[in-house]
Formats: sequence, C-alpha cells, structure tokens
Amino acid sequence: MDATIAERPSGAGSPPAIKPTRRRSLRSRIASCWLHLVLIPVGLLWISPLAWIVLTSLKTKIEVFDPEAGFLPAALNFANYPATLAVAPFGTYLINSILVTGSILIGQLITITLAAYAFARMEFPFKKILFTLFLLQVMFPIYAIFLTNFVTLHEFGLINTLPAMIVPFVASGYGTFMLRQSFRQVPAELSDAARLDGCGHLEILWHVFLPLVQPTLIAFTIISVVTHWNDYMWPLLVTNSDDVRTLPIGLGLLAKSDSGADWTRLMAGTTIVVSPLLLFFVIFQRRFIDSFMHTGVK
Amino acid sequence: MKSTKSNISRRALLKVGLAAPFVSALPGVISIARAAGPTKLQFMYPVGVSGDINKIISGMIADFNAQHEGIEVEAIYAGSYDNTEQKVITSIGVDTPPALWLPINSALQTFLGLDALEDITEQAKADDIYDDFLPGFLNTCISDDRLYGLPYQPSTPVLYYNKDAFAQAGLEKAPDTWDELLETAKATTLRENGELKRWGLTIGGGWHDWMFEGYCRQNGLVPWQKDKVLFDRPEAVEALQFWFKMVQEGVMPKASTWQGSANDFMAGSTAMLYHSTGSLTNLRTSSPFEVGVAFMPKKKTYGAAQGGGPLMIAKKQSDAKKEAAWTFARWMTNTENQANWSRATGYLAVRKSSWQSPAMQSYLEDVPQAKVALDQSEFAGAFLQVPGYHRVREFLKSALDRTLAGEIEAATALGEANSNANREIARVMRRRKS
Amino acid sequence: MSQRFARARRKEALLAYAFLFPSFLFLATFTYWPIIRSFWFSLHDVVLGDPEIFWMGAENYMRVLDDALFWKVLANTAFYTLTTIPISILAALLLAVALDRKLRGMAIYRSAFFYPVMIPSVAAGMVWVFLYAPGYGPINAALGAIGLPHLDWLYDSDLALSAIVIMSAWKYSGYFMLILLAALKLVPSDLYEAARLDGVSGVQRLLHITIPLISPTLYFVVVIGILHSYQVFDYVYVMTQGGPADSTNVLTYYIYQNGFQYQDIGYASTVANTLLVFMLGLIGLVALTLGRRVHYLGEK
Repeated sequence: MDATIAERPSGAGSPPAIKPTRRRSLRSRIASCWLHLVLIPVGLLWISPLAWIVLTSLKTKIEVFDPEAGFLPAALNFANYPATLAVAPFGTYLINSILVTGSILIGQLITITLAAYAFARMEFPFKKILFTLFLLQVMFPIYAIFLTNFVTLHEFGLINTLPAMIVPFVASGYGTFMLRQSFRQVPAELSDAARLDGCGHLEILWHVFLPLVQPTLIAFTIISVVTHWNDYMWPLLVTNSDDVRTLPIGLGLLAKSDSGADWTRLMAGTTIVVSPLLLFFVIFQRRFIDSFMHTGVK
Repeated sequence: MKSTKSNISRRALLKVGLAAPFVSALPGVISIARAAGPTKLQFMYPVGVSGDINKIISGMIADFNAQHEGIEVEAIYAGSYDNTEQKVITSIGVDTPPALWLPINSALQTFLGLDALEDITEQAKADDIYDDFLPGFLNTCISDDRLYGLPYQPSTPVLYYNKDAFAQAGLEKAPDTWDELLETAKATTLRENGELKRWGLTIGGGWHDWMFEGYCRQNGLVPWQKDKVLFDRPEAVEALQFWFKMVQEGVMPKASTWQGSANDFMAGSTAMLYHSTGSLTNLRTSSPFEVGVAFMPKKKTYGAAQGGGPLMIAKKQSDAKKEAAWTFARWMTNTENQANWSRATGYLAVRKSSWQSPAMQSYLEDVPQAKVALDQSEFAGAFLQVPGYHRVREFLKSALDRTLAGEIEAATALGEANSNANREIARVMRRRKS
Repeated sequence: MSQRFARARRKEALLAYAFLFPSFLFLATFTYWPIIRSFWFSLHDVVLGDPEIFWMGAENYMRVLDDALFWKVLANTAFYTLTTIPISILAALLLAVALDRKLRGMAIYRSAFFYPVMIPSVAAGMVWVFLYAPGYGPINAALGAIGLPHLDWLYDSDLALSAIVIMSAWKYSGYFMLILLAALKLVPSDLYEAARLDGVSGVQRLLHITIPLISPTLYFVVVIGILHSYQVFDYVYVMTQGGPADSTNVLTYYIYQNGFQYQDIGYASTVANTLLVFMLGLIGLVALTLGRRVHYLGEK
C-alpha cells in the first residue's frame, strides 16, 4: 500500500542561485494578474447561487418568480428575517447546534489524533485489518445503520437528548484517515530527533506532530463542523422537543412541505444558518495562512 | 385542585380506568384520570404547507392545553409526510408510539398492518362525526367498516390556471373535458422561434401517480382494491395514452418535480398546473397574475384521489391517554378549528358545519377558488390504500415516466407495474398472515 | 538485546492499542454493532416498526440479484461517482494550487469557492431546482445567450443525473480544495524555489513536484471522494426523489427508500451488505493501484 515510487525531486539539491529580485517580482506580478483574470469570472460564477439566495431573501413573495421583476428586489424587504425567526425558536436551535457540533468536534479531535498517530507512527499486530475496520464507518451506508442506532440510543435512554446527536459521531474513520496521511508526511528526522531526546510518544505527538499538521486539523475542523451543522435526517429522527432541536430542522419547516417551498423565508433562513459558518470559515482560513508561518516547515 | 384529585384511591383509579372506554363513548363527558398530574400526549405532525403553519399549530395546541386542564399535548414537527410516517413507525418499533399523529391517508393499511391504530368507531358514532363530517373525507379513514382516524387536512389535486395566459389565448373558461384540456393546452402553449416559452400543462411531478389515479377515476376506474391494484385495465391504459399524446403534441413536459412545477406555474412558464389544493394559498399569494382554479377535467365523470391526512390514535397506550387523545383529535376537528385551519392553509374543512359558518362563508366570497376543491371532493375517493403502498407508488411512477419519455408502450409499462405491484402487495400480506 | 527489543515492541503495541481504544469504543457501539445487525437482518424478513421477524435464509440476496432496479441504481451510482470525482478533484487541485500563495483578495476567493459546502443541502437543492428550471432558470438563459438550445435538465431522464453531477461539482470542489490546500502547506517551499530558478515551467512543476509531494492527500481525497459520492443522498432526496424514470435513483437513496419508506429493513440491509462487499473490493483495488504510488515525506 505504501511502497514509494515517486522520487524526491532532484531540484532540491541544486545550490540556490543569486536572486534576480526585479525580474521575479515583475514575473509574479504578471502571474497574479493572469490569475485574477481567470479567478474573477470563475469566482463570480461560483458565488452567483449565493447572490441569488441573499437577494431572494430580500424580495417579496410575488417577486421571486415574476419574470418581469428582474434580478434585484424592487425594494429591500427585510421583513422576511423576523418572519423566519418567528416560525420556530431559532435562538434555542442555534445554541443546540453550537453545543452539538462543538461536542462532536472535541470528541473527534481527541479520538482521531490518538488513533491516527498509532496508525501512522507505531507498529503493532493487525494494523492493516484494524485500519480497514476504521474505514468501514465511512463505507457502510448510513441509512442501513439508522435503525439499530436508534434502538441502541433508545436503550441508553438517550432519545430526545442532545447526546443522541453527538455520540454516534464521536469516532471518525474519516478523520483518522485524513490525519494519518498528514502524520506520515511529517519528516522522520523530526520525530527521530525528539525520540533521541527521550520524549515518549505522547510528548512527540503533542510537541512535534500536532503543531506541524495544524492545517490538516483546521481543515478537518471546518469539514466536521460544516457536516454536523447541516445534518437534518438524524436529528429529525432522534429528537422531538424544541429545546433539543437544531437549526436545519427549522429550515426543514420552510422547505419540506407538499405545497412548494416558502422561498423568501427559506432563503432568509438559509442566510441565517450559513452566516455563523461563513464567519467561522473566514476566521479560520486566516489561521490557515498563519499556521504554516510558525511551523517552520515551509 | 390537583391535591384533592391525587388523593383518589387506587381502587377508584382502577374503576375509572376500566370505565374509560365506556365513559368516552358518551359525548361531552371528558376529563377523567387526572390522578397523576396532566396526561401528556405526544402529537407528531408534518408540515403539509410551509410557512406559518407551524405557528398556527403551536397556537392551536397552546389553546387546547389552556382549555383542557389535565391534558398536555406536545406537538412534534416530524418533517414531510414521509418523514412523519417513518418517525412514528420507528417509535412504534421500540414500543413508545406517540399518542397520536397525522400521516397521509394512504398509510392507513400500513399502520393497520402494524396493529398500531385505535378503533374509534364507537366514540365517533356516539358523537356527531358520522353526521357532520363530509363522507368522502371520512371514508379515507375507514377499513372494513371500522373508523381508524379523524380526517384533518384533506386535499385533492385541482387544475390551477394562469388567467393572463388564458386571456392571451382568447380563452375564458377552464377546460371541462379531456378533449378540451388538450385543445386548451395547445392554445396556451407558447413557442418563439421553435424555442419553448410556456407549456400548456404541467402535471406536478413526484405526486403524478396521485394525479394519475384521478385520471383513472375520471375514466371510470378505481385502480385499486384492498389487496391488489388494477393498473393494467384498459381505462388506465387509455389515461396514460392520453398523457403520452399531450407530450407528443408538445404541450406538456415529459416529467417535472413537485417543487419545480409549482415554481414553473408562478413564473408563468406553464399555463395550467395539476397540484394539490394544499398549495392554493401559496400559489394564490405568490403568483404575479390571477390564479384560476377548476375541477380536473372529466372523461366519463369527474374524479380525484384524496390526499392529505387524518389524525390517528395509537392503540398501544393507556386508556387515559387514548381518552385524552380522542378529546384532542375531536377538538382539532371541531367546527371552528376546521374553519380556521382551512382558511389559513387551503386544505378543505372536514365538517359541513365549518363550511356553513359565517367566517367560512365570507372567506368563500373572497376566495371563490376554495369552493372548487370542495365541490370536486364529492367525486373523490381514498388514494391507493393498499398494503405496501410506497413501493407500489414507485412502480407506477416509474411506468408513467418511462412511457412519457417514449421508452416503452403505455400498456406494457402499466402491465409490468401492475404485476410488480401485486407481487409486492402479496408479499406484504403473506407476511401478515404468517 | 533482542529481548529488550521485543519488550519495547510489545510496549509500543500496547500503547498503540490504548490510543485506538477511545475510537474503537464508539465505533463498536455505533458502527460495528449495526453492521452485524444488518447482516442478521438481511437473513430475515424484518419490517420497520414490527417486532416480529421471520427467517428467510438467502432469499433477500436472491431478490437483489433479481432486482432490475438495483442494477440500474448501481449503474447510476457508478456513473455519478466516475464523473463527479474526476471533475471536482481536478477543479479542486487547480484551485488549491492557484490559491496557495499570497494574492490580493485571497480570503474572498477561498470563501467564494468553499461556501457551497456550507449551504445546507436542503436549501442548496432547492436553489438548484430553480437554477435548472426549464423556462426561466438562469442556466438555460445563459445557454440561450451563447446560442445553445434550452435543456430540460431535471425533467429529462437522460440529463437529470448529469444535472446533479454538475451541482455536486459546485458543492464539492471547495471541499477538496480545502483539504489539498492544507496538504500544500506541508510541502517545503524550497523545492519550488529551486525548480523555479531552474526554469521549470508551471505545468511541469505541478506534474513533477506538487502532485508527487501531495500524493498522500490526493490519495486520501480520491478514496474519500469515492466513499462520499457513492453515498450521495441529499440532492436526490431534495431535488428529484430518484425520478424521472428512476434515472437519478442512487444506492443510498434506494437503501433509504427500502428501509424507511417501504419499511423493508431486511431488504435494505441486504442491499447495504452487498454494497459493502463491492466497496471493500473497490477500495482494495484503489489501495493496490493508487496507494502503491503514494509517497510519504515522513518515510523513506
């Protein structure tokens, strides 16, 4: 599985030439101009559905599909937002969503860090079989395990509680796999050096590996948060009361009906649900850039 | 008050418990079994119509709880009709069914198969249910002459039409027969330079099997019996051939989606639309043109299949809860609440007295379209109440889609769907017997 | 000497098991137990909500082999996976390489490409139903503007699945981009510098330096992409419910339909198990082919 055929690029060994600073900066400026030229139209294309979501949330019901009404709302109609918030107790839902995604994330970070380190950097019998067993979680269709998990949670007395939405997701074969790949990318010299200094595995993990794989940890954090933030079917099945329900169920109220969606409020609801995530992402993607600057790898 | 009640002796409690079924048969005699605090009921419901419905339901529940000391209803939003059914059945599986729930009427046989429904025939007979409920709606809850639910939000498909588009084509009247439907669809289809701008007719996808049952009924066929379907009958084949003809004539799309077709109508890209009466309020208030509502055109007769859902009461719960659940179901379907619910949603009120109430009369004056669905419901019957109805629906939908896409002949497709469906029904029934 | 070595190895193994234990505890309860149950269910007639269960032996498996729809669904899923994965991973790779540098407006670009991942699928599906609308939908308007014919997208059984593929590429490219970006951060930048100074062109750098160096992550992305996309459910559920003419019915949706809509848990489990066997085979194949070509910086 892991035999290497790609060789280390030979360019690494060549002596650095004198930096032709002027030429480089000009070249990089041309390159970035060219990049903007490509990225701006693609980016606009990508972002157009979001624009539609936000604009629709500001329209009146009649404007949404009226071909004569045009792309922009005639007047900014913010009434959809309070009207959406009135449909369900979104404040409670928001707190629950934060609690659920936060708890899942903390649990996952602990379990996957330990497991990924073991798979990446330790030797033990049955390693490959155990790793495949971890991947089973990602392989087996989720709807085939819903029923049994419902029954299990029922026996634990956890139906209609916040933990019902948390515990099935604390272990993550996905996260373990992702982090294992990154751990294996950490240059062996670093861990060898730490080993020679007399560090145990936990210390090496904490002081050497975790700081180095920060970008991966952040990427996993973002993905885990987004996945569980938006989960709909499982929370719908295992919760009953408003005081333990999460945001997507509030959205479901506006989308899933047999008379067609309530477009303006659905889009207002979507904006409300996505905004915290977007904010979270913008903050963390900055950390992305900072993180590699401190690791010294690059 | 609570303290005195809680002093009731165990024996007295037992007596009350034993008496409950009999007491409950008497109309107006309620509020027993308060001994252990309020009776808590869980009520699972779907949101059939989006928007404020959740608020309306919560409001109704709050009113009910305020008016009925000793009963506390918790309303649980459970997603779509399908989600609700699944959530209820999963709860039944672990022996904790909700006290009552609101599924689609087609699920009747499914729940009966699980022995999950309380027979409420006697209570209903002692009450005014059989007199005041519209019989077409009540029938959707009846199996072997026993009543297993109170209709709550019935709907049927109706023909919506865009009055502007009709005026443009010089039409005033909605089509009344299949032939007129085809002519009208031709007249209202709009093409510019060979590019389609507007379909004449769209049949809401995803539920088109529901509309198709309407077409069978219009052609004089109820396409199912208690233990089998009759999709291969000539009446059904003829109906599908008619659909195919409309596709061939280029006046109707080969397929659509439920959400998409409603959007298409509001955006003016289809002149006529078959959709649920439950969409009336939404379509009426969101379309930038005047919306007309008409009967689905007839062939031999008018006809439609009932959609929408009844309130069903769980069998496996204490008598006190059953009693409270009955009180609640009865209250939700009383004259005033039904009138309010109908006006807010576009669903049809189930009681004759609701339709006669002054509030409803003035609503009908404002929104005469609402009357159409009521009148049509006289010609409507229950929708595909066979065991295993979900899979049967998929077989039928697939046959309809493939025929309209031109992959297969109508008769062959329906023949296949028929034998597949009947095999599935037999499989489910065999299991029940064993 | 060798005894001490053996003891050290045993100690390391024990520690490794201790590291795996927390994950394993949860996996056993919420993954392995349901899978075991699922095998047991598949040998029985199990109906959701009904405590009674009947032995069936291999009959459910016979039903799978006989079920034309199952094979159609399998083909749909294969089509979906084999188109979505290359499209979105290629797009993601290009975006990641383009965005792995200091560039004005970087935060905006990254957010622009990543935000689709954040839109709840219920809402995203609804938006795309509108975008694909035949008459007034913006996509058809755009096609018309460049002189191409209007398409019926979701209403056309030949196009509906492709429509969902396009939407998935929109939704997933940013997701893979993020993971690849994280990987690019681990690549030592002196390699690039050196290559650039040697006059190696951009495309060559991408092919000969970047891709080999992030190959573990690319490998991860391919495996995860396969596992994710064969589990596609939400868009089908929201947009088409498997139609028209079963053209968008995919495996997870089919399992959901059987288990929850039809309450036929026995059959749903059988389909799931059959799938698991397929997937183990497929992932094994990927591990043997792609996995062997992966180069890890931490290993020699």
